[in-house]
Amino acid sequence: MKLKKSVIAVGAIVALSTMVLAGCSPSTDSGSTSGAALTIAKPDGAITTESHNPFLGDSSASKYGYAKVIFEPLALVNPTGDLGTTPWLAESVEWNDDYTELTVVPRSGVKWSDGTAFTGDDIVFTFDMYLSGKLSDTSGLKYEGATVEGDAITLKFADSKYTAQSRVLHTPIVPKHIWENIADPNTDPLTDEGLAVGTGPYVLDNWSTESVTLKANEDYWGGELAVPELHYVSYGDNAALTTALVSGDADWAQAFIPQIENSYLAADENNHFLASPTAGAGTLFMNLQTKPFNNPALREALAWTIDREAYVDIAREGASEAVWNVTGLGALLEDEILPEYKDQNYAVDVDKAKQILTDAGYTWKDDALIDPDGEAVSFSISVPAGWSDWNTEQALIAEELDEALGIEVKVDQPDWGGWDAARQEGTFQAIIHWLEDTGNAYGLYTSTMDPKWIVDDKAQFNFGRFNDPAVTAALNTYANASSDEERQAASAVLQKAFAENVPAIPLGAHPLLGEYNTRNYVGFPTESDQYASADPTQPGIVQILTKLKPAK
Amino acid sequence: MSGAQPQLDAIAVGTTATRVVSGHSRIPWRFLGSRAAFYLFTLWAAITINFFLPRMMKGDAVSQYLARNRNVTPEAADALRALLGLDTDKSLVEQYLDYWAHLLRGDLGVSLLHGLRPVTEVISQALPWTVGLVGFATIVSFAIGTIGGGIIGWRRGSKLDVFVPITTFLGTIPYFWLGLLAIAAFSVNLRWFPIGKAYGVGMRPEWTFEFIGQVIHHGTLPAVTIVIASLGGWMLGMRNMMLTVLDEDYITVAQAKGLPNRRVLWGYAARNAVLPQIQSFALSIGFIVGGTIVMEMVFSYPGIGKLLLDATNAKDYALMQGVFLVITISVLVANVLADFAYAFLDPRTRQTEA
Repeated sequence: MKLKKSVIAVGAIVALSTMVLAGCSPSTDSGSTSGAALTIAKPDGAITTESHNPFLGDSSASKYGYAKVIFEPLALVNPTGDLGTTPWLAESVEWNDDYTELTVVPRSGVKWSDGTAFTGDDIVFTFDMYLSGKLSDTSGLKYEGATVEGDAITLKFADSKYTAQSRVLHTPIVPKHIWENIADPNTDPLTDEGLAVGTGPYVLDNWSTESVTLKANEDYWGGELAVPELHYVSYGDNAALTTALVSGDADWAQAFIPQIENSYLAADENNHFLASPTAGAGTLFMNLQTKPFNNPALREALAWTIDREAYVDIAREGASEAVWNVTGLGALLEDEILPEYKDQNYAVDVDKAKQILTDAGYTWKDDALIDPDGEAVSFSISVPAGWSDWNTEQALIAEELDEALGIEVKVDQPDWGGWDAARQEGTFQAIIHWLEDTGNAYGLYTSTMDPKWIVDDKAQFNFGRFNDPAVTAALNTYANASSDEERQAASAVLQKAFAENVPAIPLGAHPLLGEYNTRNYVGFPTESDQYASADPTQPGIVQILTKLKPAK
Repeated sequence: MSGAQPQLDAIAVGTTATRVVSGHSRIPWRFLGSRAAFYLFTLWAAITINFFLPRMMKGDAVSQYLARNRNVTPEAADALRALLGLDTDKSLVEQYLDYWAHLLRGDLGVSLLHGLRPVTEVISQALPWTVGLVGFATIVSFAIGTIGGGIIGWRRGSKLDVFVPITTFLGTIPYFWLGLLAIAAFSVNLRWFPIGKAYGVGMRPEWTFEFIGQVIHHGTLPAVTIVIASLGGWMLGMRNMMLTVLDEDYITVAQAKGLPNRRVLWGYAARNAVLPQIQSFALSIGFIVGGTIVMEMVFSYPGIGKLLLDATNAKDYALMQGVFLVITISVLVANVLADFAYAFLDPRTRQTEA
């Protein structure tokens, strides 16, 4: 009897304390007068180490992305929409003809959040840190010094920045009066009092291992801000993030949410999702050095067989844009496509693919494709396990090629390390990979055909190891040209080479994703007005935050 | 009746037990020495393996960094290598000696994955949450399971037996599923508990009732689900040992002597049945410190588990070694403690001295 009683007692205590805890849960809805806070969420697990350094990729400021609302860049380059440049901390930005010099006029009337005035000295100081070597040149800027003439500052670079404009323009500008006393700008966490000072719309208020709070900068040069407070939080994984977005604990995120229609959009009419295509694309890279892909006919046949719509609709669940043009350029870069290629698009055309293979000496035996040497065609396609969208695409490609052409495709899902080694050392047969995004056609062609990426026999791009001196020369011309005509002539060579050799097969544009709700604030980028991407980790977030208005 | 110690003649008394008992009260130096040597060797081996194992994995830190940070150009790989301190071409042996030199000075290096902050700082931010939550839940689970298992074993055949299949069943549910169900039921629908994290957004960690209340409120669901998931093992183990022990002669004797049931249950049966439980508990300390990665992901809770997973994926050697070191040391310490507890509860272990 006694024992039973104590069991009941323990049960009662547990139940009671649960109820008490539930009852006394503090109502976290901050009923502030000036408007609700906006919570920006990431799916990266708890971020428990504090560092506000904007130059360090893995600082908490960069992982959450709050560095972008504290430190502002000279200009914002839109990665989507019109791909345009909006001057930001500079009143104007102008490149010279061959893009080796950038002339900027610093914005007047801007103050650092500690009250000191922002001047051109801060811009020069920021870039000079690269020159003196205090700051590692991880963006490959090759900056060579600045000259000041009146208001205008001219920054000089060792080579053309045409293909890396956003790397230059997005450099976060930091205050000279604080950073000149920082011994190592590469790694300093800026956690001491009064160091995390920027010109941006928000200032740091509270940092904890669970969340970061920023308050609106009252003296912001861009005018009054609708959102008084930003919270940055990080959830354990995509599933936890989705739950938070649906329940309203989080307002804004950039995540790939499976079945987004049912799991997120249907939950509330104010929930929105925007996928902005960029100039980069998810691309099928083939190893051009070994069988079976050393035969261009097979690559071309694949280009006529792989269904890019299926990639967009099934693998990416609509969050992408199919790339069909033979030049490999997507809709965003349509203006750069040569007139003669404008209407030359691939399609799923199995008869054409079979014709190409037959012409090249391929045959079929028991429905299996046999190459001119008499061997059955088979290859493996490799994507790290857990990259669910591309894992789906692997399966799709395997199915499509097996049914249409009789090619046996092995689906390989190694861990990241194994995949990484294979792509660098060229021991793979086919992989799906992203492209270097330069905001123009150069990104695709350098990523797929440029031997400069292969250093010490290890490839950082151009994994198929395409090498044609004429193409390499055209790539260099494109990057360094001092006139549009010169660049177009080079672009023609590149497009022709890509269409003829099929060194890789772009599948669909790489999107920048954004999930947001319009319960409290409106003015986010939309399908019809993509002045920026809706991704809160992109530099464009400052532009969005200044455009937000309270919802009625 | 007198307090004086009588000089006993062993032959006259018919036993040498008194001499053996007094022998036990001496400090068992040889026993302690051999254990200490064993643990030191284990520590050395673990730290050495800890150094070599990560270096046998494929892939390198710089290309991982590039994949994570697309705004860094691959052309800057060399600058990055210098920045991350990976540009040295020291041999493996030199690195190994450096590693020991740093370790003995308490310097675990900097974590590439966490803004180049010292590994000790990174771990010290995450460890308290793991130890606090998982440790608390494991102790609660161990206590409830062991006491409950003892009682169920004692009253075998009663209605209480039904707890064994129930808790075992709950233990077989995959933890992430249990966690997601708990979140769906108690956070999303009933809104009793927050959907995750260790405390509320915008809170400052400080010793106030509000903050502590938040931590308890946020920690309840993860703690309760861990207890539910692990209770079955403790309960089943204790109950089964109880059944074996209850068949022993000394239990029958104790009951025949007319000792109260409670004394037989706790002083005779449970004290012997608990020994294997203690050994398992010492082993589970490693899991406590290693963190329950699934819990951390489902409940977005800070902790060592996710830290280790991310470090492994990113080839962050310094952080990996730091975390393994913490796990290794805590497992060894737990085993030392278990040895002591054993020696206290079971005098037979000490007889290795004889």
